[in-house]
Amino acid sequence: MSNEPRADAESARAPQKEKTYAGMTRRTLCLGAGGAAVMLGLGGLKYVGSQSIIRPPGGQDEERLVSACIRCEKCYEICPRDVIAPAHIEDGLLNMRTPTFDFSANWCDWCAEEHDGVPLCVKACPIEALKLPEGATAENTIIGKAVINTDWCLAYKLIGCRFCYDACPYEAMELDENNRPVVIADKCNGCGACESVCVSLQNGSISEGATARAIVVHPLDEVEG
Amino acid sequence: MKMKSKTLRTLVATAVVVVVAVGFVTNLGIGTISAPGFWDISILCPLGALGTMLASKMMVPRAVISLAIMVLLIILFARAFCGWMCPVPLVQKVRGLFSKKGGKKAKAGAKAAAGSEAADSEAADSGAAAPLTEAERASLSASCSKGGEGGCASCAAKRGSAPDARHFVLGGALLSAAVFGFPVFCLICPIGLTFATILLVINLFAHGDVTWSIIVVPALLIAEVVLFRKWCHKLCPLSAFMSLIGKANKTFVPAIDDAKCLETAKGTACGACGRACDEGIDPRHPQLSEAAWSECTKCRACVDACPTNAITMPLLPKKRADGPEAGDAAGGGLDAAASEGAGAGAAKP
Repeated sequence: MSNEPRADAESARAPQKEKTYAGMTRRTLCLGAGGAAVMLGLGGLKYVGSQSIIRPPGGQDEERLVSACIRCEKCYEICPRDVIAPAHIEDGLLNMRTPTFDFSANWCDWCAEEHDGVPLCVKACPIEALKLPEGATAENTIIGKAVINTDWCLAYKLIGCRFCYDACPYEAMELDENNRPVVIADKCNGCGACESVCVSLQNGSISEGATARAIVVHPLDEVEG
Repeated sequence: MKMKSKTLRTLVATAVVVVVAVGFVTNLGIGTISAPGFWDISILCPLGALGTMLASKMMVPRAVISLAIMVLLIILFARAFCGWMCPVPLVQKVRGLFSKKGGKKAKAGAKAAAGSEAADSEAADSGAAAPLTEAERASLSASCSKGGEGGCASCAAKRGSAPDARHFVLGGALLSAAVFGFPVFCLICPIGLTFATILLVINLFAHGDVTWSIIVVPALLIAEVVLFRKWCHKLCPLSAFMSLIGKANKTFVPAIDDAKCLETAKGTACGACGRACDEGIDPRHPQLSEAAWSECTKCRACVDACPTNAITMPLLPKKRADGPEAGDAAGGGLDAAASEGAGAGAAKP
């Protein structure tokens, strides 16, 4: 009985006259070359083009963020207001799992209460993919710009809603002669406070055809065209 | 009945996944395996750190420090990460869950294993059941240098001693990161994808976050590690990196007490330790191994498999007994037992 497995092992150990290339079998070499080729091919994804998305503080230098982010989800985890979210495949293959904002429930105040105005995501990023330039403040760092969709906005149906106007911490909104909110783009830094309080998509107030809230923070280059 | 190391390893890897999942729903900043830590302190995945520094052409102090710590850890524990913490082996278990055929095979395999275990214990009982012939002895102690004409292909292809497919993937990943300017492997790293899948599921239920990613990410993960069954051995660049650094590993290397080992003490054929090793290392006959010692994942399968409990994993190597003849047995065994008690503590003898 105990001899049988030994015999098997012996035959497996018998020298196989397989041709080797620098110590590798042809199979290994092909697999390795294939794997390396896939890696280089994946690098080419950079040129497929991803749409621009809004980034947490310190991620405004897109080139730097993409070159450094290892998709570790640390910024997402540490955010005390849970506004950082991993981007999805809809945002582009290269952007998948990199950090973006989700202002559906809250907005970014640079951790004013939680961490004295120093964003925790920047502090926690282990690879400095999120890094603030010297002298960056919540006021002068532009995450994006809020844009109102006047088809979906309740105020533009003269309902008199002004939640976003009341929420804006930077006085970047004003009311026009009909009490409809208007974004003052020069003052807006994309903090998301307006988006987080917008009720246009909630039950009972859905505008026809609306797929998003009526005020949404868009990436800077999208707004400037 | 003592807990098998295999069960313990599954439990540890599961615990890691659970802790990361806790991190996802709290704000403690526990991080994933890509950057585990606490609050704003974390240690980086060595491959991520290398890739990102090559891509951004920046020296990031935190990345350099954590790279140095990781190298030290790998020197100390070799590929223990693969054996104990990596979630990929857990993911690979789904193969057994979904295919009936696979399930049967697994059962058959378990039976065969039980059979060979019985054979092992039988051999232990009867002692001189199958004494080695002179020819067998010669073949077992034959090394490549003595092997004559051209040696054997299995030596030439010994995993870990010569570059293999994994090292090509590692090289390709780092080159691609440097050329294209982003850490390319992170996109498809199965460890990252495992945790990404968990996060996507949590977000789907907690925040109603519906996205195609929840299909694409697990599909990619399954394609990588379930279809490529040999991912860890043949393709994983992290495994390649660890095996390169692991060449310097001298700690927790399985050591055999020659006074207990059936082959040396009684001249019986056994080989249970070599058969138990998933990596293809033969602790009794390292010269016949399919893989170098640097491939050891410290999984303790050989320790569990030994019918006479002759194998220990001491913190520090004693006089390494490479051949069955070398080493003074009794004293070594005591040393090993003592240092295991002090150092390893992972499984009680």
